[in-house]
Amino acid sequence: MSMKWVMRAKEKGAKVIHVDPRYTRTSKISDKYVQIRPGTDIAFLNAIVQYILENDLYDKTFIISHTNAMYKTNKNFEFNEGVFSGYSDEERKYNTDFWAYELDAEGKPVKADSLDDPQTVFSGLKDFYKRYTMEVSSGITGIPVETIKEVADMVVNNRPGTIMYALGMTQHTVGVQNIRAFGVLQLLLGNIGRPGTGINALRGEPNVQGSTDFALLFNYLPGYLSYPNHNKPKLENWTASYGSFRAKFLIHLLKAWFGDEATAENDFCYGLLPKKNANENYSIYRIFETAMEKKMKFLYIMGQNPMVSSPNLSVVHEGLSGLDTLVVADLFMTETASFWEKPGCDPSTIDTEVFFLPAASFLEKEGSLSNSSRMVQWRYTGIDPVGEAKSDLDMIDLLFNKIRDLYKDSSEAKDEIIKKLSWNYPTEKKAEAVLREINGYNLKTGELLNGIGEIQADGSTAGGNWLYAGVYAGNENLSKRKDNKTDPSGLGLFPGFAWSWPGNMRVLYNRASCDVNGVPYDDEKKLIWWDEQTKKWMGYDVPDVPVATDGPDTPNGQKPFRMNGEGVGRLIANSYSDPDYVNQTARDASSVPADGPLPEFYEPVESPTSNVLHPKVQINPCLKYPRIESKQPIGTKEEFPYVLCTSSISEHWCAGTVTRNVPWLNELVKETYIEIPEKLATKLNVKNGEKVKVRSARGEIEVKTMVTHRLQTLNINNEEVTVVWMPYNWGFKGLSTAASTNLLTIDAGDPNTWIQETKACLVDVQKV
Amino acid sequence: MNMNRRNFLKTAGLTGVALALADLGFNTKKIEASTKEFKLSGANEYTSICTFCSCGCGMVCHVKDNKLINLEGDPDHIMNEGGLCSKGSAMSVVPNSEERIPTPLYRAPRSNKWQEISWDDALNRIAEKFKKARDENWIEKEIDNGEEYVVNRTDAIGIVGGAQNNNEECYLMAKMARALGVVFLEHQARL
Ligand code: SF4
Repeated sequence: MSMKWVMRAKEKGAKVIHVDPRYTRTSKISDKYVQIRPGTDIAFLNAIVQYILENDLYDKTFIISHTNAMYKTNKNFEFNEGVFSGYSDEERKYNTDFWAYELDAEGKPVKADSLDDPQTVFSGLKDFYKRYTMEVSSGITGIPVETIKEVADMVVNNRPGTIMYALGMTQHTVGVQNIRAFGVLQLLLGNIGRPGTGINALRGEPNVQGSTDFALLFNYLPGYLSYPNHNKPKLENWTASYGSFRAKFLIHLLKAWFGDEATAENDFCYGLLPKKNANENYSIYRIFETAMEKKMKFLYIMGQNPMVSSPNLSVVHEGLSGLDTLVVADLFMTETASFWEKPGCDPSTIDTEVFFLPAASFLEKEGSLSNSSRMVQWRYTGIDPVGEAKSDLDMIDLLFNKIRDLYKDSSEAKDEIIKKLSWNYPTEKKAEAVLREINGYNLKTGELLNGIGEIQADGSTAGGNWLYAGVYAGNENLSKRKDNKTDPSGLGLFPGFAWSWPGNMRVLYNRASCDVNGVPYDDEKKLIWWDEQTKKWMGYDVPDVPVATDGPDTPNGQKPFRMNGEGVGRLIANSYSDPDYVNQTARDASSVPADGPLPEFYEPVESPTSNVLHPKVQINPCLKYPRIESKQPIGTKEEFPYVLCTSSISEHWCAGTVTRNVPWLNELVKETYIEIPEKLATKLNVKNGEKVKVRSARGEIEVKTMVTHRLQTLNINNEEVTVVWMPYNWGFKGLSTAASTNLLTIDAGDPNTWIQETKACLVDVQKV
Repeated sequence: MNMNRRNFLKTAGLTGVALALADLGFNTKKIEASTKEFKLSGANEYTSICTFCSCGCGMVCHVKDNKLINLEGDPDHIMNEGGLCSKGSAMSVVPNSEERIPTPLYRAPRSNKWQEISWDDALNRIAEKFKKARDENWIEKEIDNGEEYVVNRTDAIGIVGGAQNNNEECYLMAKMARALGVVFLEHQARL
């Protein structure tokens, strides 16, 4: 449905550029289609940035006022032979302190007098990007030089401009840096914070925003608060690392979890929380790997089907076989719950016991979810769950109560946390009660909070997620609002429709839509402004400023990127902690990517060519792969000459658990297939619809071919490279069954996010 | 005439389909729309949000006798303005599908079949297994660089939530997991 809005923009004169390894329905309606080799986005984007820097096409006013362009980077900052300063070969890790600014006596970054000062971030940027000429970029990406130049001119000449991206950018071992490359480009063009700008993640899952906000992620607590590590035993250790600004929200959360038990004297029960080991990775890949090693005993999965959707499926299968107990809650039977029934596998050799719990579908339960633009919306229901199915909310509540009951007579120290946890939810209107807990209360008055500004650091407020403070403002569930008429901005903000975090703000960084004086850059399409009369930031949107009454002549009035300690956009992601003079600790220590302060191009782990920029550093230097050598072989281009890119399709969703049980979606697309270019079809002597065997270093499957013009062979560093593509939505259960593409894909992951490189691995294709 | 489709349907219901349609100049669609009106008359209505991507498209659902009889894009929704993609528009199948699993199932070690069990039995046994895995694999302390730290966790239990869950479910799952010492807490943000 996002495409509807792209089309509407196009009708109003916007230019649409589509970058994809494969020509699709989106390419068809675009003004410019760019065919790119999977995994080379940084090389492409960096050439555009280089063109902008070289020809002075950036928005000078914007970068001086709203970014760190003028800040001085410390003298030791360098980039050499594929790595930045601070790199340890042995640990494959950076010490990010090496990327700091030069600081003054008060610990604030020193600013230069001119952009051209050799020590500025801007000069550092120019220095770094100059290697990315059009020719180098073309050799790496396979995109003709003229096309790169044409796209560069289009983005420069059509401002404001926005970027929409999805998993095609993130499923790489350089996923975070791909997005950083967008960040640098958009900051240089002044394309952040104004209407029609930004970098927009089109997230592929209904509530992936909410499930990350609420931290079903090993490394966070709800609201993106860093999960406590073993070496931070006390709250003060946590605060020293992550800043007093965030510590306030952690205390607020601990009060919601431990109620009266949490006091200032006992560190608000911080000590009771389990501590993860700082040096370990607890991502989903490690779940299956530790299960394979028989260290994981019990696994509970709700609404996910990794036996289809995870990469390198043989590891998943072996992991599931190594468990004592597996619990799966889902609507339909999944390949994960019935992994022991996988064709070719003997159930009598699998010791895992499995429970399948029938879950209510989204239409059969109430609750809220958050979309890609952080808009929290309420789902009603009007039907009962199918059969005896229960909502996950009820299942979790019942299960926790049963577990707590089993511990009721224990006096062991390890069980103290279970007893101290406040957990008491009603049977009726449970979701609303939980949302109120999430919103938070003022414990003195008992009133629901109206916004983040009311949260206190002294334990007098309690709430489950600081970002959601205000969703229940005025004792009303604002996620239920439906005002689709009122939009004073004329820009489609509709402030009375549902509710967005934080504080119903629709456009993040909207302070950057105004100049240093708080005057909108575009008076016709304005979001917010400084009102001299009332001495306040005002707007059609909620102003994204630290304090609404701190004007442009105060430091707070110049912080369009206030979640960074320095308050401005980072062209180079310099590490920085804003000093807190009151508490003698960091006020705000915002994080930087683990694998570099600027996006450098590295080849995918399995690549058809060598890294021309630095042959000795072929892949992301922070990547640790294989983790288990016997299960994670790396294929070579000699044995596996073709690049495989995989994705979902618009007719099926993710593992297909639901969509493969819908007959008419199965009629639209009924099985796994491989799309190959005509040239390869001729070479292999296969025709459209004939079967081929596709093999990677990890597995092989047989599928039908689809021969198209939509993929073309590419010229990469003077060699011909062929890209093939497959959808991954199938498995052996449901109404439509077919081979699982993920038997082939690689489970090497980005060092920041552990997202796997399912967009680029190597395969061989043979006629059967 | 400024009237959105949802109000149109409501008005149509009140004033008589033919009249409303003629009013709006929709004569050609008359038969189609009146069949639909007939099908929806007396049905209860509720709204939901699609469950297949993060656009968050609005849906209107119609229910008769506790059965979902119609589902369509919510014309009053600011995101989709009545439209749904191929996946969203197919969702009326979900609560009506015979493939849905109605009861809890259990597969014993080495067995080649599922057997039905009651909720109570299932949850009691799951709770016991959880406790066993937790108690037998508890890590109270850890030594790093010669220093001892209290860590209070178990590495033998994993919980994987989903982006299919509502916010309240994710929140409770995170709260429960942490309270029980679980650090292997994950979901499908990466897919
Ligand atoms: S209808 Fe389609 S576009 Fe809309 S939320 Fe559902 S899957 Fe996404």
